[in-house]
Amino acid sequence: MATDKLQIALYWGAACGGCDVSVLDTNEFILDVAAAADIRMWPIAVDGKYSDVEAMEDGELDLAFYNGAVRNSENEHIAQLLRRKSKTVVAYGSCAYMGGIPGLANLTNRDKILDTAYVHNASIETGNRVVPQPETRVDGKVLEIPRFYRRVYRLDNVIDVDYYLPGCPPDAGQVKAVILAIVKGELPPKGSVVGASDVALCEDCPRTRGEKKISRFYRPWEILADPDKCLLEQGILCAGVATRSGCGVRCPKSGIPCRGCYGPLPGVVDQGAKLLSAVSSVIDSKDPDEVDRILEGLPDFTSIAYRYSVASSLLQRSYQQ
Amino acid sequence: MSYEPKIVGFLCNWCSYTGADLAGTSRIHYAPNVRIIRVMCCGRMDPTFVIKALHDGADGVLICGCHPGDCHYSEGNYKMMRRYPLLKKMLADYGIDEARVRLEWVSASEGQRFADLASDMAQRLRELGPSPVQVAQATDMAER
Amino acid sequence: MEERKIGVYVCNCGTNIAKMVDCDGVCEHAAQQPGVVLAKSYKYMCSNPGQEMIIEDIKEQGLDRVVVAACSPRMHEPTFRKALQTAGISPYFLEMANIREQCSWVHDGGEAATEKARALTLGAIRRVQYHQPLERRSVNMCPNVLVIGGGFVGMTAALELADGGSQVYLVERQRNLGGNVARVDLTAPYLDSARDMVTALITRTMEHPNIFVFLNSEVGSLEGYVGNFRAVVDTVWGDQATSNEYEVGNVVVATGYKEFDASRVTHYGYGKLPNVITSFEFEKMLRAGRVETKEGKTPNYAAIIHCVGSRNREFHTYCSRVCCMTALKYAHELKSAVPSCYVSDLYVDMHAFGKGHEDFYRRGSEAKTLFLMYAKGDHPVIRKAEPKDGCEMLIEVNEKLSREVIEIPADLVILMVGMEARDDSDAVARLVNISRDKDGWFIESHPKLDPVATTTDGIYIAGACAAPKDIPDSVAQARAAAARILARTIRGTIDIDAVFAEVDEDKCCGCRICNGLCPYSAIEFNEEKKRSNVISALCKACGACVAACPSSAITARHFTDEQIFAQIEGVLA
Repeated sequence: MATDKLQIALYWGAACGGCDVSVLDTNEFILDVAAAADIRMWPIAVDGKYSDVEAMEDGELDLAFYNGAVRNSENEHIAQLLRRKSKTVVAYGSCAYMGGIPGLANLTNRDKILDTAYVHNASIETGNRVVPQPETRVDGKVLEIPRFYRRVYRLDNVIDVDYYLPGCPPDAGQVKAVILAIVKGELPPKGSVVGASDVALCEDCPRTRGEKKISRFYRPWEILADPDKCLLEQGILCAGVATRSGCGVRCPKSGIPCRGCYGPLPGVVDQGAKLLSAVSSVIDSKDPDEVDRILEGLPDFTSIAYRYSVASSLLQRSYQQ
Repeated sequence: MSYEPKIVGFLCNWCSYTGADLAGTSRIHYAPNVRIIRVMCCGRMDPTFVIKALHDGADGVLICGCHPGDCHYSEGNYKMMRRYPLLKKMLADYGIDEARVRLEWVSASEGQRFADLASDMAQRLRELGPSPVQVAQATDMAER
Repeated sequence: MEERKIGVYVCNCGTNIAKMVDCDGVCEHAAQQPGVVLAKSYKYMCSNPGQEMIIEDIKEQGLDRVVVAACSPRMHEPTFRKALQTAGISPYFLEMANIREQCSWVHDGGEAATEKARALTLGAIRRVQYHQPLERRSVNMCPNVLVIGGGFVGMTAALELADGGSQVYLVERQRNLGGNVARVDLTAPYLDSARDMVTALITRTMEHPNIFVFLNSEVGSLEGYVGNFRAVVDTVWGDQATSNEYEVGNVVVATGYKEFDASRVTHYGYGKLPNVITSFEFEKMLRAGRVETKEGKTPNYAAIIHCVGSRNREFHTYCSRVCCMTALKYAHELKSAVPSCYVSDLYVDMHAFGKGHEDFYRRGSEAKTLFLMYAKGDHPVIRKAEPKDGCEMLIEVNEKLSREVIEIPADLVILMVGMEARDDSDAVARLVNISRDKDGWFIESHPKLDPVATTTDGIYIAGACAAPKDIPDSVAQARAAAARILARTIRGTIDIDAVFAEVDEDKCCGCRICNGLCPYSAIEFNEEKKRSNVISALCKACGACVAACPSSAITARHFTDEQIFAQIEGVLA
């Protein structure tokens, strides 16, 4: 297909759809994109079949945005396909970048997930408790469904990724800027995180900050937070200190603690470990028992500290037998 | 050969590392499983070091610092003492057996105590068996 | 990262390492590692030829990083750093693998020890690739010295320093100088008068133009670092309290000891039997020139019991060192005060190790002191005598040499109480930031090679605050500490370690997690820039802020994340 237009594909793996909506959140800009580019595949918005992509020449696409994590063999298959067909692949959104919310499933395991979903679940009728199998024989024919992987992977576990665009979902302004940079060919070195700041969220947070000493943690609903003061100083676990800025401080500006979706700062190997270290270091006690008591205010800390990054943490998944 | 666990020991320069040296000068024999890495203070212990060690194949991690109140930097050990319970919680959520990571206080004069800790931890981990981390991560990738 | 040219040197330490570790095997393994251009093993790396070898290789082979697998870096890191410096490369391009104290000396030979040595060496190889050339900093060395404790040792050190030209602030808690020695009559083994010695010292100290003596005073706080401490001295006179701050470059801790509290030992009846007294109570009698029982009678029989509170598991396992000779001195003084008195000396072992001590012991034996040996776990038992016995008390002792149970009469029993660390030694340790051992004694930098320095640069310990000592040893330490300080003061400046924490302003978001974590207040927050900053001169490089920084914006020089990560990978490879 000989054309000057940018050839684009967008795809969702293990995703919620929010990332696709964030592309639409660029409002009329997306129409400019549509005018300047051929969107060859975008399951939620544009007609375009897998077979159409399979029929392309290798490298025929200029750009593929893959959002969502890699949970099953279909996700991986399409990721591989897009990698072959596209000059540039962007891991779009926190799930593709770090495993994201689906990655939390790595804190349990496949058997337990299937059991909860298909067997021991009150909403399933007795007699209907069947765990889907990758292959089913019906009338002498074989039906296949994608294989459900043992754990969730991030996109770069399965293919080579050119750029990472974080966010749950990415900020529309950032998406716009990244698309423009791609169109103009003004891209940073391969492997870069784009559409985000290299400094933590606090840099852009309007709340005032002082020295930190935490003597009690609160869940957000347990306290009427001071709207002008750093949430963490008020005992609300805010991941902003350990998270790249670039989102526009959406959550803390609305009184919600940062959840870490923009991922770790450059040079940080493990976002959750860093948040753990920062938050516990400023606990205001030297007495181990009191420290334990204060930490009781952080039930399920792991899921909060690694809300988006279990699959990209050093440990990657649970080792519970 | 029977299974021998690999333990990474992070020891503070002033108390615990000196204590381990004292075990040496006193010729107190102990299990050879701990490979010691010196940090200035256990307050320098980024939890990332612990999980990095587990990720890289350690079966256990032993962190040693000065006794509370005796830190060379007055309060560095309290910082690690605060991180430790949260780190344990996090590791438990990841299904890592709690015996694999220990924080202990060893003074410069406690060569015997360090030796005992090293041997005790090695024995405990021998009973527990190899860490699942590296094998499981490799299996995941292969099975996919 | 650019390719390094690493030299690896494996020390045999004579047979100390080579006996347990296959040093050549460690070399071969090291030689195969990326970046390693040569690996050699040698009998003594720390010897001159050993160091020369490194220096030559750096110059001729162009090595830019060096790993020495040998003893503890606490032992010879300065030695090898100096070798690197001599060869013209940064001393911080060195990393040591501790394959002696933490390997060959603690493991049985065979594969396990060698495997561990390989792993430790590989950790060092991986780590050293990330070492940076750091600049050492030169800071002013304030010539003033703070001496804590106005006893024999404190005064001796103060005089030595003051004679050398230093301004000395001598801080004593009591109303008078002199300490424990001022409570003693004569000294063993030459029977010089302690009083004369102390008086001479006090006079000189009080009159010396370079010594400020603070009585009834304590050091309230000590801030800063070597060459640049600020000491606050709190003084209380009656109801008047004053507090003054002084700049000092170094500190001598000479806080001494306290005597063991004999009432903690129940079996000798101290506190119940009026004529069971402690050595210091007996000194008081001697100084007063009246040796008598509580009832005012001249004793016909006196007994001296050794090792009270010392050398047993229940109280202190260590030997207090001065009691044996002091006991012999008492036998002598008893005999000269009351020639008719029979003196028995109940000992466990007679420790007469010092100059003139053995002769003194022999003279004591010749003077008809009855020496009775008892076993450590089998102490003598004292009971009140009956009127028919003709004495105040009877002591039953299971005499070890004759294997007989002997009963001896006594009108006066002297308990040789040992020395113990002062009750507030932990507070003093915290004040000056040094460590204590299990018995509460302050810990020296190295027990043999560096006995008066501590692990905190600029803080020296002398005398019995570090362990029981007699006067000659204590005086030697006082003068040694003074000499160490004067030697450094002469230069006027001091190089301090280039290891400290640094904030990368481009990475800092101003979250202020680190702000309250520094015990030295070395972290300041710049309100204008909204950035935190480490004041390097105040930083002592603990790294607590580095570990806590969620942005990885703070770097611990020489203990960076990447260096430690590389070492983790190395020891586990």
